[in-house]
Amino acid sequence: MHLVSVALFLTAALAPAAPAGSDPVRASLKVVTSTTDLADLARAVGGTRVEVVHISEGYQDPHFVEAKPSFILRLRDADVFAFVGLDLEVGWMSLLVDGSRNPRIRPGARGYLDVSRAIPVLDVPSGQVDRSQGDVHPLGNPHYWLDPGNARLIARLFAERFAELDHEGADAYQRNRRAFEDRLSAAEREWADAREKIRGKPIVAWHTSWRYFASYSGANIVGFMEPKPGVPPSPSHLAGLILTMQRTGARVIVMEPFYQRKMADFVASKTGATVLILPPSVGGVRGVDDYIALMRHNLATLAAAIP
Amino acid sequence: MHLFCCACFLGATAFTTPLAGSVASGRLPQQRDTTRADSAARARADSLRLVRELEALGRDTAAAPRALGTGQAGPTNPRFLPDISAIGEFIGDFTSGRSTQESGRRLDIREVELAVQAAVDPYFRADIILGLSDEEGIAIEESYLTAIRLPLGLQGRLGRFHMPIGKQNTIHRAELLGAIEYPHVIQRFLGPEGGKGTGVSLSGILSPFGFYQEVQATVVDGLGEVDEDLLAEEESNAKASGLGYSLRFRNYVDLAESSNLEISGSFATSRRAQPLVCLCPSIDGFNAVNARQSIVGADVTLRWRPLQQGLYRSFLLQAEFLRQLNERSPAVGNLPQNISYGGPTRGFSGAYLFARYQVGRRTFLGARGDWLEDPDADGEALRAGSVYLQFFPSEFSKFVLGFERLSPGVGQSVSRLLLQGTFSVGPHRPHPF
Repeated sequence: MHLVSVALFLTAALAPAAPAGSDPVRASLKVVTSTTDLADLARAVGGTRVEVVHISEGYQDPHFVEAKPSFILRLRDADVFAFVGLDLEVGWMSLLVDGSRNPRIRPGARGYLDVSRAIPVLDVPSGQVDRSQGDVHPLGNPHYWLDPGNARLIARLFAERFAELDHEGADAYQRNRRAFEDRLSAAEREWADAREKIRGKPIVAWHTSWRYFASYSGANIVGFMEPKPGVPPSPSHLAGLILTMQRTGARVIVMEPFYQRKMADFVASKTGATVLILPPSVGGVRGVDDYIALMRHNLATLAAAIP
Repeated sequence: MHLFCCACFLGATAFTTPLAGSVASGRLPQQRDTTRADSAARARADSLRLVRELEALGRDTAAAPRALGTGQAGPTNPRFLPDISAIGEFIGDFTSGRSTQESGRRLDIREVELAVQAAVDPYFRADIILGLSDEEGIAIEESYLTAIRLPLGLQGRLGRFHMPIGKQNTIHRAELLGAIEYPHVIQRFLGPEGGKGTGVSLSGILSPFGFYQEVQATVVDGLGEVDEDLLAEEESNAKASGLGYSLRFRNYVDLAESSNLEISGSFATSRRAQPLVCLCPSIDGFNAVNARQSIVGADVTLRWRPLQQGLYRSFLLQAEFLRQLNERSPAVGNLPQNISYGGPTRGFSGAYLFARYQVGRRTFLGARGDWLEDPDADGEALRAGSVYLQFFPSEFSKFVLGFERLSPGVGQSVSRLLLQGTFSVGPHRPHPF
């Protein structure tokens, strides 16, 4: 009896206010995404027919997300769980999907949406792969959303899958998808000059997460701060990197907001380079609230920093 | 796909219809009449129109941007191989005087865990974890099916698993977050390697108040380690009341984006063989009686990890309290006067407080305080304080240097210096939160 009383007391004491959010009555589909980028694209395609929430934040390393039980509640009622794939979420996703007890988002179900299956993937390793190579992704580089061409593919995948699950909304999803692509095309014309300025210029990146962005912008990544993916820089590696930057004339170091910049500042002090903190995802810095804003911000910032 | 089939069919129709018409007219030119000529002309016109529509459709398709499916093709695991992984645990015990390890060795491989994990079918997932050590040989640490499609959002387990009693007991010893060994209260009440059970578990999620609540109910063959030297008149599990039962109620709430709190309560009960005391040489083939033993506990965990600096900074504060309740005078049957109950006749309590702070990307500092009314020392208080320095070269290797000052209930205090190295190879399921 005492145990029951204690449980009831704890329940009442811990109860938060009702969470604010979009109106679930109007939404036809509940969509959960692993990242903010996928969430923004899902909103762009789904419009008012979908209710979208995400797991990780844009200023957080998506490799290291804690599988908090509150995320299980988000997934419990989801119709779609869209994730980046290529093992980006391998450290936490299975706990959440299993914990949600939701058959609609289990592997093989229509709501289990591995977005990478629609993407031409870069950096797929060949030959022997093991952890001596660091946090290598055996299926390829998962940071593909930083190429607008891939954003189009993601939008099309969402439009198709949402229509399969919500037939009545098929026309709306296609209409929204076309509208998004039109906005993206207009934005691309707007930032064409920035791409032109960046094209072929040598830069250094902290992690391999900027490979797709470089591929799109034309930047030439001549080295990484990490000696191997996920491995912090060593003094000997930094010494080699400084020589590489001096030889190639790289004057920009691009890194995410969740890494400590002390090492990058050190390298910059030896090479005269500028350290750029660029958001890798929507919401990564204040004001970057949607996908187009993310690409616009990153291209403009990089173009301005390149001498 | 449907569009493609339709297009092929229409294309075939467009090209075969005029040919069929000419063949027919070649065979029977004398029978040709106006009606047939009109029909053939209409067919040709229809065919040409269809061809033009198909060509237009083809132009639209070609003009469309890249189609889906340009990414990976085929499964990533075509041979259905399970995930196989291993965790090796090296231990160094530099305690003055003698090693405090079960093996008595200063330097040892305490255990190797071999895990095989995969989906069994659309309904079950399997986890098999074998423990290999010099002392125990090969032991089934855990082996369970998880039913993932039960009605009402329930999840079930069948097999052997760590009992959901308290917080740290649900984590494998080699994967403990902060320390090298389980807290003393868990070691004494549930076993040096934690408490496991073989049976059935069912759990359900509740969230009537908007935060996460989970109830886990378990029925197992028995609780705690079996003392093979004790033989009771009947097996402790002879009746349903002698099986082990447990109930755990978890409450998890996000306090803020970077901090959260978990408060849980546990209860477990079973009948266990307890010794009989006799002044005579032996007691007709048995020397124990089954007595009820229960454990009630509460645990609280506070976590802080700022999302943006989460690679470099985090803090965890954890406390757990367990009380062991023992049946004071179990029925011993019609035994001679000189035989009496020799098991515990009182309750025992124990607790620990653990804190861990991340000082760098790969370095953590931890400390733990233990207090226990030691059942093995007739309830005398055991006290221990320990500090830990952890270094993670990567997610898959860990080195821990620990120092513990231990004051047992009986005997002299001892200072222990331990070094642990663990390494993991292969794809391993993420650790539970």
